[in-house]
Amino acid sequence: MYKWEKLGLIFNPASLATPEWMFEYAQAPAVLVLESFVRVYFSTRPPADKSGQFVSHAAYVDLDRSDLTRILAISDEPVLSLGEIGTFDEFGTYPISVIRDQGKVIAYYGGWTRCESVPFNVAIGVAESNDGGSCFRKLGSGGPVLSYSPDEPFIVSGPKIRRFDGRWYLFYIAGRKWITSHERPEPVYKIRMAYSDDGLNWSKLGKDIIESVLNEDECQASPDVIFYNGAYHMFFCYRESLGYKSKSKGYRIGYARSEDLVHWERNDELVGIDVSGDGWDSEMVSYPHVFELDDSINMLYLGNNFGQYGFGLARLVGEL
Amino acid sequence: MKWTKLGRIFAPADHDLIGNCSEFAQSPQALVFDDFIRIYFSSREVNPETGKALSHVCFVDMSKDFKTLLRVNKKPVIELGGAGSFDEHGIFPVNVLNHGGRLLAFTTGWSRRMSVSVETGVGMAESFDGGETFQKFGSGPVLTSSLNEPFLVADAFVKHYEERYFMWYIYGTQWIDSPGVDQPERVYKIGGAWSHDAKEWRRQDRRLIEDILGETECQALPTVTYHAGRYHMFFCFRRALGFRDNSQRAYRIGYAFSDDLVTWTRDDDKAGINCSDDGWDSQMMCYPHVFSCDDSVYMLYNGNDFGKHGFGLARWEE
Repeated sequence: MYKWEKLGLIFNPASLATPEWMFEYAQAPAVLVLESFVRVYFSTRPPADKSGQFVSHAAYVDLDRSDLTRILAISDEPVLSLGEIGTFDEFGTYPISVIRDQGKVIAYYGGWTRCESVPFNVAIGVAESNDGGSCFRKLGSGGPVLSYSPDEPFIVSGPKIRRFDGRWYLFYIAGRKWITSHERPEPVYKIRMAYSDDGLNWSKLGKDIIESVLNEDECQASPDVIFYNGAYHMFFCYRESLGYKSKSKGYRIGYARSEDLVHWERNDELVGIDVSGDGWDSEMVSYPHVFELDDSINMLYLGNNFGQYGFGLARLVGEL
Repeated sequence: MKWTKLGRIFAPADHDLIGNCSEFAQSPQALVFDDFIRIYFSSREVNPETGKALSHVCFVDMSKDFKTLLRVNKKPVIELGGAGSFDEHGIFPVNVLNHGGRLLAFTTGWSRRMSVSVETGVGMAESFDGGETFQKFGSGPVLTSSLNEPFLVADAFVKHYEERYFMWYIYGTQWIDSPGVDQPERVYKIGGAWSHDAKEWRRQDRRLIEDILGETECQALPTVTYHAGRYHMFFCFRRALGFRDNSQRAYRIGYAFSDDLVTWTRDDDKAGINCSDDGWDSQMMCYPHVFSCDDSVYMLYNGNDFGKHGFGLARWEE
């Protein structure tokens, strides 16, 4: 079992004098490592509107590379605009994952729209930055780069962009069904993968890559992959599809390992990180992002209530 | 080109359709059998409480001279999708292709949105009972939004030419939401794609038909036929606003031709068919479907009110 040293809550917009569009939530952290600081992208929200609906904006916070608990700067504006009326990302950009490519920074993000019979739908968009990752311009004419298909009918979301051996990989989630037997329809989604030679034209693998352990309706999210010590390691989160706001059915972090990115062996017993006895991550831990920095392996993750009160940091003791 | 109008051949109000459908027989599309013609269309079931409609696929079988109506379907042709699916709130239109011993259907699924009325996608289904019913290929679409075709992918029409499947369809380019507009109104254009298996499609990724009414011209329901050594496309087009009540801004039939299935030259003057002076197709003409039967080429189409009162037929005269 891996051993993680928890370093506590790192960034919580609810406790800072942030602008209204960054009122609460710092969800799905993902880093871009720079020379003297680490830029952590996340998604944040203004207060809900009169009908209780949220929008979600992508933003960043810069952390001191030599001391990740030290905040150096926070983005003045969202790094991505919301889409025009009727587009897939009209109501939210969450989550966001970035990668360097030929002097640019490319971002993949979940774009949110609102539906009538179910609350939302999501597809994956792509944008690029020419200023080192402060501001992103969407590619295309307002549409998504990865969308629905016969066996991925809705909620194509949660992108994690990677490049291994010159090939692009997207790890993401795809909706399986909506459970409509309860007051609010709840989705079931599973981890999937697609690959590409150019980052724009994608081929879907077309199967669930992580087996479910709770039951058939287990929800899986945040498939975060790192190559280390000759193998691919995936940290992700999973929960029950209903009642998941409670501690017992809420998100936990899972782990899987692969030699080839296609076949994954799930073994949550190795993950080595769980909820704390009390405090900000005592009810759920979710949305892990694992990255190497100056000879250490770090995990950013969300705690209670899906990151409403920010994200925290843990550091691996030992090796993957 | 010259068309002889044969009049309205089907009025939904005269028939007992599935799902309490009593109005609309939209986008008629033919499947030719040895001894009769099946015409698929979409009719509407209206929820009396909300006033909102669900489009269902129906068909009517007719004799090959279109003079005898043999029967309408009595069971659902294809089921609507489950909650959250792209085809949850209607299927309209449906295009059926008979190729290589298979009957494939390309559906346009509708699902309602909050900030705009609807989103659509193109699904695929196959029939194993001679076109009576169709089973979906997955619960999601085979063609949906992409980087440059951001929403409202719809109106698929598929043919098999030159060892490949070709699909012509429409995609949205903008939602107009400006002061004075009651509800956001859509603009869409005709695009094209091709495939070896009818499942994985490669898009041309560009508009195929130039606008004649400006950037906000709406183009819909392309239908293609090969005749006399050339590919012919008919479609319908209209203004983006005021098109429901003002005949001058309503749907008309447009025309383009191609020699290579890739580039198309628009030439509406050659369409050869327009609104009648009075009657069921005097205010608009829309949703054309061109097909061959025995030695003749026909066009099915809708008239006034987008097909609320049925569809009609015209025959191409050499």
